[in-house]
Amino acid sequence: MNSIIEMKNVSYRYPVADDWIIKNASFAIEKGKFTAIIGNNGSGKTTLCNIIRGFIPHFYKGELEGEVIVDGKNIVDYQLGQLGEKIGYVFQNPFIQVSGVKDTVFDEVAYGLENLGVEENEIIDRVNEILKLVKIEHLRDKHPMGLSGGQRQRVALASIIVMNPDILVIDEPTSQLDPIGTEHVFDIIRLMKEKGKTIILVEHKMDLIAEYADNLIVLNEGEIVLQGPTREVFANPRFGEHNIQYPHVTEVALHLQKNGVKLNYVPIRDEELPESIGWTNIGVGAHD
Amino acid sequence: MTEIQLKNVSFAYPDGTKALENLTLTVPSGQRLAIIGQNGAGKTTAVKLMNGLLKPSEGAVFVGDWNTKDYTTAQVSRKVGYVFQNPDDQIFHNDVESEVQFGPKNMGFDPERVTALTDWAMELCGISHVSHENPYNLPYSVRKFVTIASVLAMDSDVIILDEPTAGQDRIGLDLLSKLLDELEKKGKTVITITHDMEFVTDYFSRIVVMANRKIIADDDSEHIFYNHAILDESMLKPPAVAKMANLLGLEKGILTKGQLLSVLKKRDLTRGR
Amino acid sequence: MQKNFIQQLHPMTKFFFALFVSAAVLIIPGYVFSFLVFPILLLIAAAAGIFKEFFGTVMKALLFLLIIVFLMQLFFYPGDHVIGQWGIFKWTEEGLNYGLTLTSRILAMGSAFILFFRLTEVRDFVKSLEDAGLPPMGAYVVLSTLQIIPEMRRHANTIMDAQKTRGVETEGSMLTRAKAFIPTLTPLILSSISSTEERAITLESRAFSAPTKKTSLHKLTKTTADRILPFVYIIILVGMVLWRILA
Repeated sequence: MNSIIEMKNVSYRYPVADDWIIKNASFAIEKGKFTAIIGNNGSGKTTLCNIIRGFIPHFYKGELEGEVIVDGKNIVDYQLGQLGEKIGYVFQNPFIQVSGVKDTVFDEVAYGLENLGVEENEIIDRVNEILKLVKIEHLRDKHPMGLSGGQRQRVALASIIVMNPDILVIDEPTSQLDPIGTEHVFDIIRLMKEKGKTIILVEHKMDLIAEYADNLIVLNEGEIVLQGPTREVFANPRFGEHNIQYPHVTEVALHLQKNGVKLNYVPIRDEELPESIGWTNIGVGAHD
Repeated sequence: MTEIQLKNVSFAYPDGTKALENLTLTVPSGQRLAIIGQNGAGKTTAVKLMNGLLKPSEGAVFVGDWNTKDYTTAQVSRKVGYVFQNPDDQIFHNDVESEVQFGPKNMGFDPERVTALTDWAMELCGISHVSHENPYNLPYSVRKFVTIASVLAMDSDVIILDEPTAGQDRIGLDLLSKLLDELEKKGKTVITITHDMEFVTDYFSRIVVMANRKIIADDDSEHIFYNHAILDESMLKPPAVAKMANLLGLEKGILTKGQLLSVLKKRDLTRGR
Repeated sequence: MQKNFIQQLHPMTKFFFALFVSAAVLIIPGYVFSFLVFPILLLIAAAAGIFKEFFGTVMKALLFLLIIVFLMQLFFYPGDHVIGQWGIFKWTEEGLNYGLTLTSRILAMGSAFILFFRLTEVRDFVKSLEDAGLPPMGAYVVLSTLQIIPEMRRHANTIMDAQKTRGVETEGSMLTRAKAFIPTLTPLILSSISSTEERAITLESRAFSAPTKKTSLHKLTKTTADRILPFVYIIILVGMVLWRILA
């Protein structure tokens, strides 16, 4: 398998802590695949992202055991600054992801490229391209501090995408956003998937995960309890043991199954529901 | 107990930006009300008027028989509690218990009542087991429950929750549901602002939809989420169950999983499976 | 800012000018020269199109200070030639002289630096420091502090609102307001501290510590004027020192 990220028996605990936050985690992520990390709060999702991105061990100290290999090289052998071009990182709080040193959105998006030493003309071209792609051209001259949460999150994404990393680690980007903001962010994520980026996403919105993710990693109290193709994981009877949210349609279907309705398969997207319970002709009562 | 009335209320910020236009709304004591709408529609402004944080530019807001113009926010907060969206804007004690006690102590309750309310609030919010922890050592979603507890402990008749479901997992959502039941039993009024349509349809019978600084609908969930004019104007989407019901060609009006299940079970029986 | 010739000068040129003016008023004795400096600075401000803002800032920042300093020297500077009296306060010729000299110098130096800051965008000033060797972290600290301050004000207001809803009174006597201090400041400080870590992560995610040389979209250029003027300042200063020694 062409794996771009691999973890082998990884455990981690923060400095001056007794408990291991991540316990013996192992997985491999194939290049170009979309993997979602799910689990209840406190299960270690953000910590896992920090390890993938190299913040652990380069930024956060503490004990890291096991092997973390990104693009063929052990993460310990990278310098933190080198990873900026390889792995992009976006996280939950839109208000802290503004650099704080630029006056316009254009300069804000260009900041990462300046730090990477990209030539000025190339910076201008790339920023213009990304502003168009992410549909924030109308914000280019605005001051980053004057933007709403949703706008800031899109600017943060643009600022990372412009550096053209192969891997994107995105940690709960829509938790603080309204539905339209969420939609805009997922439009961008979908675009990145189409461009063949390897995406790792942490989210609670299971419906959206069901739509986009190829694979799931399920965390419970620091351990990976399930992993595999999205459909298989949601259909796995053990998923329910961990009290984690299902996609709404899956919840409905499973409840029907418990009450005696035969399921052809476990649906994970809304449009699969009729077929999954064997209702292929819906002439009765159809509206709109 | 305490009824809230907004009478022809308009609000504009000092720089002239209008946030509300001629709003009239009555929230009877003990009701569960959800206010929904896009960001910028005026939801937060409306609820901030209810607890006296903002005073109306025109019209009047009555909390019980108090006109909010005659009282400070701290005074009105005896009757109307408000849980802010970001817990880090409120927390400043080293341990959870002190944080929760802060509100009732400010209210001047006697020590027994403070302890009773603190224990009750922490129990309800599932944080009794971390009462001696530093809030900043707890996950963000647990900190949200700390702030909810610290407002509940003030024992106000009305509780306003601003986006309580943001970032919550299944366990947190279940806790919220139990919380709402318990508050209803005590006769408290609960008003929530939320973007989570499942949360709204599962727990709130009355829904107020806001768009463009006005109230455009005030009804139960069935009449709102199947009304395309309202959905268009407010730019909201109905809960997932509505889409599922539509795909199955079922009758209009189905919004909760419970409703969907009972309708499907009936249909399945008649199809002779 | 619409940029005219004066504003387009390199930040260092403007900074050296402020230093030049300060040195000049210290070299030339007495108060006449120093007092003349201020109208000259006003003319420069007018030429650069910022007369009103410059004058306003100088008044706000310096007027009160100047009056206090003058009166202090007038009444309390040791001297024997008493020239006037008001109640128990006497003022002397020495006091008057010294008062005028001191205030004229403070006015000249203070307004020279105020002119510099009014003519230079902080971004350009920090960039010129970086060109001169300031490490990137230094530049970051200066610039981000400036943006953080208005953010913190907004945040403080939000926190105050949140505490009001928990029964903290903010209107009323001084004592009442003082009690609101801790509930307002503590969350502000705590969240600033905890957000420092996230800010550092944001910087990291923008490749701040990448091991390559950084480039910059907004470069500062030096014109002929920028190259010549610093020498002009030095020549004038040397001339003044010589005149002082020889005269």
